[in-house]
Amino acid sequence: MSFIQVKDATRRYGATSALAGVSLSLAPGEKVALIGPSGSGKTTLLRLLGLQEKPSTGNVSTLGCDLCAGCAMSIRETRSKIGMLPQDLGLVANLRVIQNIVLGRSGTRNLLRTCRDLFFPSKSDRREIFESLQRLDIAEKMYDRTDSLSGGQRQRVALARSLFQGAEILLADEPLSAVDPARGRDVLKLLTSLSDEQGLSLIVSLHQVELAREFFPRIIGLKEGKIVFDGTPTDEQIAELYQS
Amino acid sequence: MNASWRMIFGRRWLLVILALLFAWTVGRLGTQIVNLSETADPWAASARFFGAAFSPSFSDQNPSLPATATPFLERLGTDLLRTLRYAVIAISIAIPLGLILGLFASEQWLPTNKSRPVLNSLRWILRMGLSLIRAIHELIWALLFLAAVGDSPLTACLALAIPSSAILGKVFSELIDEQIRSARNVITASGGSGAQGFIGGILPAALPDMISYALYRFECALRSSAVLGFIGIETIGLGIRRSFNNIYYGEVWTQLYVLIALVIIVESIGNLIRRRLRNGVPRRKEAPSDSETALRKTAPKDHFVRSLGMAAIIGILAAWNLGDILLKPGIEGQRIERLSRFLAQLTPDPVAPERPVPTWEERKEAWNTGSDQVIPWLTNLWKSPGQEALTNTVAMSVAAIILAGAAALLLVPWGARTLASAKPLGLEMMGGKIRGLIGAFVRGIFILTRAVPEYLYAFLLVGILGPSAWPLVFALALHNLGILGRLWSEVVENRNTSEPREILRLGGSRLQAFLAALLPLSLNRFILFFFYRWESCVREATVLGMLGISSLGYYISIRESFLQYDQILFFALLGAAAVIAGDILSDVLRSKLRS
Repeated sequence: MSFIQVKDATRRYGATSALAGVSLSLAPGEKVALIGPSGSGKTTLLRLLGLQEKPSTGNVSTLGCDLCAGCAMSIRETRSKIGMLPQDLGLVANLRVIQNIVLGRSGTRNLLRTCRDLFFPSKSDRREIFESLQRLDIAEKMYDRTDSLSGGQRQRVALARSLFQGAEILLADEPLSAVDPARGRDVLKLLTSLSDEQGLSLIVSLHQVELAREFFPRIIGLKEGKIVFDGTPTDEQIAELYQS
Repeated sequence: MNASWRMIFGRRWLLVILALLFAWTVGRLGTQIVNLSETADPWAASARFFGAAFSPSFSDQNPSLPATATPFLERLGTDLLRTLRYAVIAISIAIPLGLILGLFASEQWLPTNKSRPVLNSLRWILRMGLSLIRAIHELIWALLFLAAVGDSPLTACLALAIPSSAILGKVFSELIDEQIRSARNVITASGGSGAQGFIGGILPAALPDMISYALYRFECALRSSAVLGFIGIETIGLGIRRSFNNIYYGEVWTQLYVLIALVIIVESIGNLIRRRLRNGVPRRKEAPSDSETALRKTAPKDHFVRSLGMAAIIGILAAWNLGDILLKPGIEGQRIERLSRFLAQLTPDPVAPERPVPTWEERKEAWNTGSDQVIPWLTNLWKSPGQEALTNTVAMSVAAIILAGAAALLLVPWGARTLASAKPLGLEMMGGKIRGLIGAFVRGIFILTRAVPEYLYAFLLVGILGPSAWPLVFALALHNLGILGRLWSEVVENRNTSEPREILRLGGSRLQAFLAALLPLSLNRFILFFFYRWESCVREATVLGMLGISSLGYYISIRESFLQYDQILFFALLGAAAVIAGDILSDVLRSKLRS
């Protein structure tokens, strides 16, 4: 069973083609940066990898699950091992931090348990969340309303949600867009160190080429829905990527 | 400045259309504002009525009351409590019902598979049903219920609860569908079900707005509950009507003041809750970051909102259990007989059975013999007086909303908090104290005008000016001035962008900042609310005619005294059709403005 395998995947939305034939494979624990100009297909690729939609043609298989061909585990079970960090973080602003985090485990819990979690999270859940928040340095915010936190803190909350979820893969869509530029390096440091500690596979879409080079051994360049390079790009390749 | 003027004149078609529409309503409704007998002096009558505002009465003005009669203040207290009670019971029915209806009227439960189009059309049918139920006014529901189940407190509660449930359902469904899907998508992307995504990602985000709107509906139910008094249900409206008809103006004003105070108290509590739900409460004690238990114990909790929530629950329980029995006991079978008679009266005349309490056979027979007469019957009703009544009703609503809009537009630059202060939009300026006072005064006008229900204004104005369409128009306009003024002021206050500040910084006045920047920036939302209020004016106008002015409500009240419920239903549905048409029109215009 391959970890992540993409073969000639395309994705069209009406007349526009977001992905035009992409192939790649990933091993467990790998750290990958996706770079490319806006509209190059980064978000679409992340959505396909996260099994949120099917490719128009070709195959995408994550953790042995292919929406077109069939899955080893159920789709929900597979998805429960995939953490998503969308650009806007996907947090409910007026819920407390702990409530947002506890929802991360919805994939392995039933509806009744989710309702209970929102009001009376179990003791072990509370302890686990507290510990992961401690590691992320925002433990004191655990019972505060999420919208009272700064952009960087909120990002940590979203990250804690994926950790609590027990994700094996983390798909992060431009995680630096919500934090101020000076903190970008810290965010990536945190993400990559978590990846190293937990053996978490990391796929991050980025705009900052320098940071991508600093933190990611493997960089995939996307342009107009196609992979331009995959590995360690040269300066010429980067320049070509952003040439219109 | 040029650009902003262009923005305003870009909308000049709107101004032209509104002016033409207003001219049409004047042509339609005539120019006679005062309609009293020749000997009557409207000035003296108004002077007497408004003069009494300064001497409200605290005891019975009727000198010939027997000593055993309940004193005025005690009656007032009972009426007020009853008004409150009916509104509480109604809203406690409407909220759970609205929640269920709202969920099913939203897109949330629709599956993504092939059955979606079928279920989606069911959803649209539900939405249409909600619109229809909501389009029929509380007063008409009350008339129908009085006939169907008789005079019980429950009649009043149901008449209030039914349209409230429908509107709550509609608004809840919109609030649910409006939420950003991102949090829900994260839940489903990590394996959660659609229901989990809804419970965890959508509902909590929509909840503050839903509570906020439910509180507003409670306020409306309270006003409507008072208005039910005008058709004889024993709420404060009945007391006002009696006192006014007996020319005990002092008593009228006391009751008005008490009602206004109650509405304002409810509104202020609602505003407090709204603000707290929006902002949350800050942490009071510094949190110890080394112990989860300590953190949880010091977590910021909103004790104010929590205790109000508890109070609401206790209030609901009290409303259901204390006071007059809700459903007066009837003799077994009598209720069914009554309902059966009502259904016979509700049946269109050509197919109505002859006996008041018919059997099914008789109904069937009547239907077989008269069904070809139904269409001519409807056509006749439409030709006279339906068509004219409908046109008058629409004309009244149009005239009212244009008047209200014009007045609100003049007042908003003086009332909006961000302008009426020493630091408008955060910039130090002169004349802050006076502007602050004017602002408070204008906002006071908004609060007072919207606290009194339209029907009550209309009743008083018709009493003073005599029966003509214009007192009704003014009544509608006054209430809507208060609402539009508040809504528009909020739009302006939330529009804290740099353009108007720049005008102030360059030495412009507050009015210039409003005209050149805030108004063009807010215009779309202004128009949005304008149409939203117009639609509710149409709804209200359908019943105002009950005060004796040729429009739909007039014919409804006439037919009611002849127990011609079939015709009442016709006029009520005609009014509902106008409301729904207005609803659709305003929806189309609003979505055009949004894009």
